[in-house]
Amino acid sequence: MRSLFRAIKFAFQDIFRNFSLSLMTVLILVLMLLSVNTLVVIKFFTSQATQSIKDQIDVSIFFAHTATDEEIAEVQSFIKSFPEVSNVQYLSKEQVLEKFKEQYSDNENIIASLEELDENPLGSTMIVKTRNPGDYNKLIEALSVPEYEDIVVAKTFVDTELAIERINNITTQVERFSVILTGLFGVIAFLIIFNTIRVAIFTQRVEITIKKLVGATNWFIRSPYIIESFIFTAISVAITYFLMRFAAGLIDPYVAVVFKKDWLLTNYISSNIMMLVGSQFVVVLLLTIFSSFLAMRRHLKA
Amino acid sequence: MINLEGVTKRYNKQSTALEDIHLNVEPGEFVSIVGQSGSGKTTLVKLIIAEERATSGKVSIGDWDITRIPYRHVPLLRRQIGVIFQDFKLLDKKTIYENVAFALQVSGESGARIRTVIPRLLEIVGLPHKKNSYPHELSGGEQQRVAIARALVHRPKILVADEPTGNLDSINTQEIIEILKKINEFGTTVVLVTHNREVVNQMKRRVVTLDKGRLISDVKEGKYRL
Ligand SMILES: Nc1ncnc2c1ncn2[C@@H]1O[C@H](COP(=O)(O)OP(=O)(O)OP(=O)(O)O)[C@@H](O)[C@H]1O
Ligand SMILES: [Mg+2]
Repeated sequence: MRSLFRAIKFAFQDIFRNFSLSLMTVLILVLMLLSVNTLVVIKFFTSQATQSIKDQIDVSIFFAHTATDEEIAEVQSFIKSFPEVSNVQYLSKEQVLEKFKEQYSDNENIIASLEELDENPLGSTMIVKTRNPGDYNKLIEALSVPEYEDIVVAKTFVDTELAIERINNITTQVERFSVILTGLFGVIAFLIIFNTIRVAIFTQRVEITIKKLVGATNWFIRSPYIIESFIFTAISVAITYFLMRFAAGLIDPYVAVVFKKDWLLTNYISSNIMMLVGSQFVVVLLLTIFSSFLAMRRHLKA
Repeated sequence: MINLEGVTKRYNKQSTALEDIHLNVEPGEFVSIVGQSGSGKTTLVKLIIAEERATSGKVSIGDWDITRIPYRHVPLLRRQIGVIFQDFKLLDKKTIYENVAFALQVSGESGARIRTVIPRLLEIVGLPHKKNSYPHELSGGEQQRVAIARALVHRPKILVADEPTGNLDSINTQEIIEILKKINEFGTTVVLVTHNREVVNQMKRRVVTLDKGRLISDVKEGKYRL
């Protein structure tokens, strides 16, 4: 207990009496954390982008004008039985007509010719979304059977097939790229932390040998450094977090224009605060402690 | 008190620092170790405080055989032997008071005890008014006195000094030697490594001479002869 108290006291003395070095260490840790977090944000944006493109893709199933309600209900329950299907929206003949009129409200010819018919010429429509763009093929195939030939007149899927394939390609490329980038950043982060700590320890090498000569145990010498690692990590993670929040506040208005969602980044950061702050704190802390052990080992001998 | 039996220290194939040294220092003795540069004096000190290990032979302190002392016991040994060096080896980011206190903190002494012991020690070496200064604000002689105060915190039975006056002028040298004498008078065994002819001659105590790693003379009331 007494030695813990002393270790804390020594840690704070060390930080303040080597103030410029402490400042430098925190600065480097913050820069390192900021670059890692930039990567996190980029990953978040790409996943948002692909998600919003995926969301825009759907399959429209056009029913024949003559299809009965029972037949439509059967197809609908058949579609819903697929686990891949995430959403089914049904538009009745009347709703389709309404939409159609709305869409062509400034084209008098079309409206006039529609009025002339006493019966609604349009069939009902079903808009189906699946969880993954790749699932659309399966759905289309399942519907292309003789029993449904007379009920389903068209499926718009064919037009978007290429786009879906391209998105799938891009998504896997981005994922592969970000795995490589994450690995690379991890290595860089480790080297930066290790080197920063090594420099800090190296400036203290004379102190360490003197402490040994007057009878300090290795733990007595190490414990203030462990506490310093803790303090430096806490400060850098906190600074990084507030900088991220601040930057998110600045960027979000522009993000809102692209994704049509307000405070997207700010919300992402605050709803993932435990993951972001917690994991980075633990990783950086372990890295700094590990580095200081490694850097000190040589000076602690004899 | 300090006993070396046939001790040889070889750093590597080219350099043998000490060869077959037999040396016994009795409790309460004041021994000067002299010898030319490179004769192995510092190596001898390092063996006594377990900073280096003997290649062969046996080193013991009291009845403690430290020839192969495990690393985890080294701090215990260092708390029983006071050491001072030519370059003082003070912690330059700590004040004078903190430097001396550190040597007590390493063994987990209570704050209350530290607060009573340190002022008394600074009194003995004549530096109570400098307790809040940093080492670089002190003269060489003053820094060495701080180092002596630090060496004495555990009331060691042995004090080892490796050229403690090597960086000091003659007045400061005299002062340091007087302090060492006084410490010896109170019963502490003192081993003094020195180059200083005057110091050795005025002492009229035992002198051990090393030459190229060998012990070539050991005289009860010796003079500096090189
Ligand atoms: N760490 C080491 N590695 C290799 N050789 C060493 C080492 N330390 C000392 N030596 C060698 O051992 C011999 C004795 O060195 P030592 O430092 O004991 O001499 P010294 O008597 O203290 O000299 P000085 O009066 O200059 O301080 C020298 O030849 C030196 O080169
Ligand atoms: Mg020497």
